[in-house]
Amino acid sequence: MRRCFVVLGIFIISINILLSEEKAGLDWWSFQKIIRPEIPKLENSFNAKPIDAFIRSELEKNNIKPSPVSSPDRLIKRIYYDLVGLPPSYESVQSFINDKDIYAYEKLVDDLLDSSHFGERWARHWFDVVRYAETNGYERDEVKPNIWKYRDWVIKAFNSNMSYDQFVKEQLAGDEIDEPTESSVIATGMLRAGTWNDEPNDPHEYKYERLEDMVDVVSTAFLGLTVRCARCHDHKFDPIPQVDYYRMAAAFWAGTIDPGSRSDMGGPNDKQLGYEKVFGWTDIHRIPPPLHLLKNGDPHKKTFIVKPGNLSLVAHLNRPIMDPPKNSKTSWRRRQLAEYITNSDNPLTARVMVNRIWQHLMGKGIVATPNNFGLKSAIPSHPELLDWLAIEFVEGGWSIKRMIKMIVLSETYKQGLINPSSNEIMQIDPDNRLLWKRDIRRMDAEVLRDSLLEVSGDLNLKMGGESFYPDLAPEVLEGFSRKSSAWAPSPHKDQLRRSVYMISKRHLLVPFMKAFDFPSSEKPCGNRNITTVVSQSLAMLNNQFIHSRSLNLARTLIETHEEDREAMFAAWKKIFSRAPESDELDVSFKHFQKQKSIFSGKDNARLLALSSVCHVLLNSNEFLYID
Amino acid sequence: MIKKTNKKAFPCGLTRRELTWQMGNGFSGLALTSLLSGSGFFDDNLIASDETLLPKPSHFKTSAKSCIFLTMNGGPSQVDTFDYKPELQKYAGKTLPEDKKYINSGGRGVGYLTPNWRPFQPGGESGILISDYFPHVRKHADKLAVVRSCHADSHAHGSALVQMNTGMPLIGRPSLGSWVTYGLGNQNDSLPAYVVMLDKRGGPISGMPNWSSGFMPATFQGTLFRPTGSPILDLQGPEVFSGEAQRNQLDFLDHLNHVHFQSRDKPEELAARIQNYELAYRMQSEAPEAVELSDESSHTLEAYGIGKTSTDEFGKNCLIARRLVERGVRFIQLYSGGGHLEETWDAHESIEKNHGQHGLEVDQPIAALLDDLDQRGLLDETLVVWGGEFGRMPFSEGKDAPGRNHNPYGFSMWMAGGGVKGGTVYGETDEFGFEAVVDKVHVHDIHATILHLMGMDHELLTYFHQGRKESLTDVHGRIINEIIA
Repeated sequence: MRRCFVVLGIFIISINILLSEEKAGLDWWSFQKIIRPEIPKLENSFNAKPIDAFIRSELEKNNIKPSPVSSPDRLIKRIYYDLVGLPPSYESVQSFINDKDIYAYEKLVDDLLDSSHFGERWARHWFDVVRYAETNGYERDEVKPNIWKYRDWVIKAFNSNMSYDQFVKEQLAGDEIDEPTESSVIATGMLRAGTWNDEPNDPHEYKYERLEDMVDVVSTAFLGLTVRCARCHDHKFDPIPQVDYYRMAAAFWAGTIDPGSRSDMGGPNDKQLGYEKVFGWTDIHRIPPPLHLLKNGDPHKKTFIVKPGNLSLVAHLNRPIMDPPKNSKTSWRRRQLAEYITNSDNPLTARVMVNRIWQHLMGKGIVATPNNFGLKSAIPSHPELLDWLAIEFVEGGWSIKRMIKMIVLSETYKQGLINPSSNEIMQIDPDNRLLWKRDIRRMDAEVLRDSLLEVSGDLNLKMGGESFYPDLAPEVLEGFSRKSSAWAPSPHKDQLRRSVYMISKRHLLVPFMKAFDFPSSEKPCGNRNITTVVSQSLAMLNNQFIHSRSLNLARTLIETHEEDREAMFAAWKKIFSRAPESDELDVSFKHFQKQKSIFSGKDNARLLALSSVCHVLLNSNEFLYID
Repeated sequence: MIKKTNKKAFPCGLTRRELTWQMGNGFSGLALTSLLSGSGFFDDNLIASDETLLPKPSHFKTSAKSCIFLTMNGGPSQVDTFDYKPELQKYAGKTLPEDKKYINSGGRGVGYLTPNWRPFQPGGESGILISDYFPHVRKHADKLAVVRSCHADSHAHGSALVQMNTGMPLIGRPSLGSWVTYGLGNQNDSLPAYVVMLDKRGGPISGMPNWSSGFMPATFQGTLFRPTGSPILDLQGPEVFSGEAQRNQLDFLDHLNHVHFQSRDKPEELAARIQNYELAYRMQSEAPEAVELSDESSHTLEAYGIGKTSTDEFGKNCLIARRLVERGVRFIQLYSGGGHLEETWDAHESIEKNHGQHGLEVDQPIAALLDDLDQRGLLDETLVVWGGEFGRMPFSEGKDAPGRNHNPYGFSMWMAGGGVKGGTVYGETDEFGFEAVVDKVHVHDIHATILHLMGMDHELLTYFHQGRKESLTDVHGRIINEIIA
């Protein structure tokens, strides 16, 4: 009976939520000052790390026991993929398993965080958020010259553990900070990394589309707010009045927003920017012309002039934007926007970023809508943990590596896939919202491609510089309107570089990457779709790239192993970083023999048969899915 | 029952997905949402909560199950094809009156009003006037609903075509075919639900965004389909790993994957991936079969103009389109014209030369397609749409210049089959054929009508993205009821 009332209660409450066209007020949780929450005391365990205390206290409330810690061989693979996006070698796995030092795991984590491949992995997460691609899209889809320097800047920022507040400041206002450098000006390339229409219908109307793009990327990436929705009207759900959109947009109004020469691609020329061969952004006005609020967002319906300013939803941070100093060439508006965002009292900035970090490590955010912390966001699964992490993040000097380390050292991160009581727990929490186990995760497109290259021994680890163009099947190139000039594959060796260095061209995303959910980069993407579709299986079965990998690996193995079974044994070690069980070896060998007899007429039958084994292993779920 | 409340003005309303989030995405939330949906509470999101490709019920019953969109890339001239303007004879050599405002795309020469380059003649019982660039299509005039009052927002190919395909001249949104696929799902496991066939001369300007699924999962993006051999990318691997060798591989793989599956607590996603390999295997034989024309009669091949140089390519594509319709493919887009300028319908140089060539390439195949669909009883369930990204100006680009510049202010499209009222003409341009003036039809209206004919309400077919209920037509779109049977 009582239960019925509870259900009815939930029902009524939800109907109310549904029907009362609700709007978040200034008291919405994510706009509140972050107060360090008390670390919960656990009944069942002592000395739990704070993260685990927050997670486990919720589990205790629901009478759920977390999964046991993952086996070391699975754990090391997980941490490799999560931190550097590459698989560990068999030897690394073995030495980790055999390392009896109680700090062995922590040492491993430190090593991976110190690796330059860390930045390559984590920069790619950031590129999704800032809708980064290397071409403009639209009529000509030209490559943005030198935009790759921004890509390298982000990689370097992650590798050098640039504090997050500095990371924000340089991307928003690297030209306006106290001591701008070429590097900090390169960082402003973020603002121009989106689409740019080289032949807009009406260049003057297009200015407002560009403003929307910049407001959108800045507000979603740094603040988790959909300020863009307030271009035409007051935000439907969040306390963002229409005027706030224009107050924020005014920060970009001082730049090269007016239509200029097409060769400048909507940005400043070298002279205006002060640097050559940099694809950056700067103001061309110290005091720009007035920006009007547009009725219904329509460029033809200018109303009153809007003064630049901050979002009004956090009242105590809503300070007026000051005029720039007399000697300044720029308006200092972006600088002040950056200061607003990185103010340690800003309730959104740290929450949004720690949530992104958490999401990349745990598979889902504490807030499942990483780009939206407004009324339409997902309810946080662990709101106090989120706040605790955010406080730690700010007080720890906005250190991303410190935050990552703290999370991956938790027992929660380390737990295994299998919970002995999963049948019962599934009744309570089928989506694993409370984190009572580790979720298995498919490799994303980049990790998959990089891992294929790594295990076949083909990966070229050269860092930085201009992007490479991979070979594409002729039928793919048919999609280009300019077939001859559109795509010139790079020298073979360059094509074996990591995916973060692959050209991302808006008119043609590499089909293999796209099949594995590489995002279309027109809009900021906070979490990628993860699809399981047949085109992935077709690509894995038939694409020449995979066949080349299997063949190359087989060739190496044949050269180094005389015995077929030994070669197969080595294949398992290479591909799964573990040795096969004897029955696994048997079935591989059986396949090998079957194939060898089919290929018997050919003089390389042994190589092809071994290549077939490798190809199947590379297709297997054990390879594709991270435990 | 479809609720017609809470629409347009409120594109950011609550969906099942949002509610699920708000309810905490947990057991109670899910239970509640299914309870509510069972009670019809979510009728306005009947379709849009499902991100799979399983066949889904439509909003309401209609006859059209598939759509073939014949895209005349480059922008055919309306006054030379489907919008006869005898007044242009009178005004020939004069300029367009100054009160007619337009953007001169590409800053090209502005010349003199020029009458149609080929004569018009009435077709069918309806007597719809169609020019001699389309003599074969003209015979099917009674099947067509010609809309002469279309208009769009961009004068540049790239953004205009993106608008024709996605509703907005800004790249990044899901295309019409993605919306249809998202709304109705796939009827055939072995073929993609949304197929795009390009012109051999090249892809359209602005490329992939024209068949992208935008912010929707890639499940709903268009698949490029080639008319010969192996129609889909990665459908065939190296010869040595085909046949028995590949079957061995799949058996070995299946064994490994099942062992792995058992040891990982059997997540659904892994089960789906295991199944997909069998599906992929089937596709390898069934998809090529869809483009294998050897079982078509010589009469059919001839009707489509297959084997004749000018019509061979588009004829094959049209015939394949019919075969795909028969196999349940939802949305098929055929491009006529690819690459740039004269390789497309972009007749800056000469209408007669350009449209003479491209008209010849597509006229007979399109007529054959309409006829073939009709004879096989498929026309009722197949909506055929014809049009470019915009039209062309009624004036030349200079003295004695025989071409015309881009014109998004007024142009013609037509629809046939799939619940369309044949023999209809809707809307008018001004006396010059310059801009739509009577019963204007925006691209959004075209889209709303296509969705409607396929059983979907353009206001209810929504996808929740970044805090907003997105739809193909955004806050716009009016169904052209006058052309619906």
